[in-house]
Amino acid sequence: MGTINTAFGIMTQALDADQAALNVVANNVANANTTGYTEETPDWQENAPISINGVSYGTGVTETGATSQRDRILEERLDQQQQLASASSTRLSALNSIQALFTPDSGSSSSSTAGDIGSDLTSFFDSFSSLEANPTDNSLREEVLSSASTLASDISSTAASLNAQRTALDQEAGGTASQINALTASIAKLNQQIQSASPDGDAGTLEDQRQQDLSQLSQLIGINQVTTENNGLSITTTSGQLLVSEGQSFQLTTGTVNGVTDFFLGGADVTSQLTSGGGELGGYLTARDQDIPSVLGSLDQLAYDISTSVNTQNNAGTDLDGATGAAVAGSTTGAWTLDIFSPPPTLAANEASGGTVVAGAAAAMSVVMTDPSQIAAAGATEGTGDNSNAVTMAALAGQAFVSGQTPSNYYSNFVSTLGSTVSQVETENTAQNASVSQLQTQNDALSSVNLNDEASAMTTLERSYQAASQVFTMLNTIMDSALNLGVETAVS
Amino acid sequence: MQVDPNYLSNMASSLDQVQATEQQLTTELSSGVRVTSLSQDPLAAGENVLLLNQIQQDDSFTSSSNLVTGQLQVADSALGSVVSEITQAISLATSANNGTMNSSDVKSISSQISGILDEVQTLANTSYHGQYIFAGGQTSTTPFATSTATSPAVTSYSGDEDVNYLEMPNGQKIQLNVPGDQIFLGNGTNSVFGALNALVADYASGIVNTTQAVSDTEALSTALNYVSQQRVSIDNSITQLTDATSAVSSEQTQLTSAQTNLMQADVAQVSSQLSLAETQQTALEDVFSQLGSASNDLFSKLQP
Repeated sequence: MGTINTAFGIMTQALDADQAALNVVANNVANANTTGYTEETPDWQENAPISINGVSYGTGVTETGATSQRDRILEERLDQQQQLASASSTRLSALNSIQALFTPDSGSSSSSTAGDIGSDLTSFFDSFSSLEANPTDNSLREEVLSSASTLASDISSTAASLNAQRTALDQEAGGTASQINALTASIAKLNQQIQSASPDGDAGTLEDQRQQDLSQLSQLIGINQVTTENNGLSITTTSGQLLVSEGQSFQLTTGTVNGVTDFFLGGADVTSQLTSGGGELGGYLTARDQDIPSVLGSLDQLAYDISTSVNTQNNAGTDLDGATGAAVAGSTTGAWTLDIFSPPPTLAANEASGGTVVAGAAAAMSVVMTDPSQIAAAGATEGTGDNSNAVTMAALAGQAFVSGQTPSNYYSNFVSTLGSTVSQVETENTAQNASVSQLQTQNDALSSVNLNDEASAMTTLERSYQAASQVFTMLNTIMDSALNLGVETAVS
Repeated sequence: MQVDPNYLSNMASSLDQVQATEQQLTTELSSGVRVTSLSQDPLAAGENVLLLNQIQQDDSFTSSSNLVTGQLQVADSALGSVVSEITQAISLATSANNGTMNSSDVKSISSQISGILDEVQTLANTSYHGQYIFAGGQTSTTPFATSTATSPAVTSYSGDEDVNYLEMPNGQKIQLNVPGDQIFLGNGTNSVFGALNALVADYASGIVNTTQAVSDTEALSTALNYVSQQRVSIDNSITQLTDATSAVSSEQTQLTSAQTNLMQADVAQVSSQLSLAETQQTALEDVFSQLGSASNDLFSKLQP
């Protein structure tokens, strides 16, 4: 009798266990499309057998909960790869905006495609070549001034666009700080909950949420994850600054330094470490602090060298009124009387804002000369019909005065280098995206809800439930016989 | 072996990629330009800058040389007229020197030669677009003026020795002018004006000092040869310019075709790539519709 009762007990437990397992399956199917949800499998635990007089009797099964199918290592690898991919794709989109300012001239018309600095340079020096033919002709002189204007305005507007892009990147970077802080705070809280709820095993849904936050965080900023005791987690930036230490998170603060937003962790300026760290923030900072300044620096060098060399040469000649160039009395910018371009910002002014000799030359480039008769086509001591200074100025186009190269060569190398950089980042980004999708596929294969698997699990459990209830029915009949001691009577 | 249940959504990103490729190829085809951004071909972009620079320079030179050719031709024709005026003066002087003329005829020859001198001076003061072409670098002041204060009169030059050159794209220089004093005052020894003024003085009184007159006539002949030589250097410049212009023109044509080849889209290649991309897109869409249809998972087969 006792054994039959025990059997009833075992079967009841089996039915309960099956129901609990079906619950897990139902939960899986309900969450099949939830982002970050990891498939759970029910855990079966055989109950400890009882030993009576040396004979051991089994005591059935208990469903002890569900285990999430998750591979921590795989998830961490995926996060790291996403950091890299998101850094390069952010940087790539910034670079694409930069290179859009320098679209190659298709050359369909000879010298009037506006907006291409390369052809503006050529037109400017060509205007002096044309002046050689007839140095006193007013329309040729006007042409010199107008091509100088076109060159100056294209360079300065490109520099202005670059500065505007830099400001936009700065704002985007600053905007990520608050998102990062929200995520680190959320992770810290989840850490506390996980550590107190399940310090020894997988924390199920809480773990899913933490992993979601980690995945979003790694897209924003490059991180390293360190698992600590009791299922806790510490997060540092890629270069080692602490962001989350188990239940405590540290805020990333921003401040303006030298006109751009810098990032501080615990009082220390970590901007340069974050630049190479990965994530969107790394991408924004790389574009803001490396790519744009490099392009602006080259433009500045070009503008500076052209402004100063052309001005110097023009001041060395004789203009149509017979005058030669002289320093303007009391000028704080180093202006001379026959300057064609405005003198670039002085070194003293640049040093005050932490810049180099040539900084700001491109943005400030403009034509100050208004009277075409001030173009000194004639040589220093020659009559006004002489063209030797015009010849010299035209010949500047073939002289290596822009950082050791001719203006055209310098610009040509500049666009090639920029194009190569963008192309390289494109390649990296494509490779990284491929890697991310491969890891994502692996991870999904393990952790995503596969409806076919759930369907078969459900069928198995259904059958097992049916079997258990069948056994129950059998036991009931047996009990019935036992009660009636083998005689078929009313109790059934 | 486990399967990624999300493979359909991964295909969606492949479909996006194919569409992006199609878009780019279509842009290339419609604009005819292969390199629409620096990153597509950085080396070609750099090369393009240099080629366009050269092409533009050649184009600019061709326009300048047309301007300059006009000026040189004006100088040449002025000198041509000078030569014929001097030739006439020489024949007048020769006829006066043969001793068969009377005093009033000689005086009239003097005034005719004086008229020729005025003509030659006007020619020496030729201007082109408002600038005196035989004044060296002082092109805004009249170069030659004759003072009758002394006898013989003296024609003086107020220009300078400056010579202008036009620089070709390959660095060669073409001379654009010859200073007036070099042509007409012959550095003192072969002076056209000197000889003409001397002859005017020789015949002014009506009485011919034959030795003096003959030597002055010979000086004028020598001066004429000298002028013709100077004219040659102007003619040389014209020839040089014509040759240079045609060389530069053909270089420009070659460079233009090189630049076009570099930057232009290969229509055949782009069209076939576009057709491949379209085929791929259609194939992906078909796979999508086949695999994504609702009756494909186990749940739908488990209908009781």
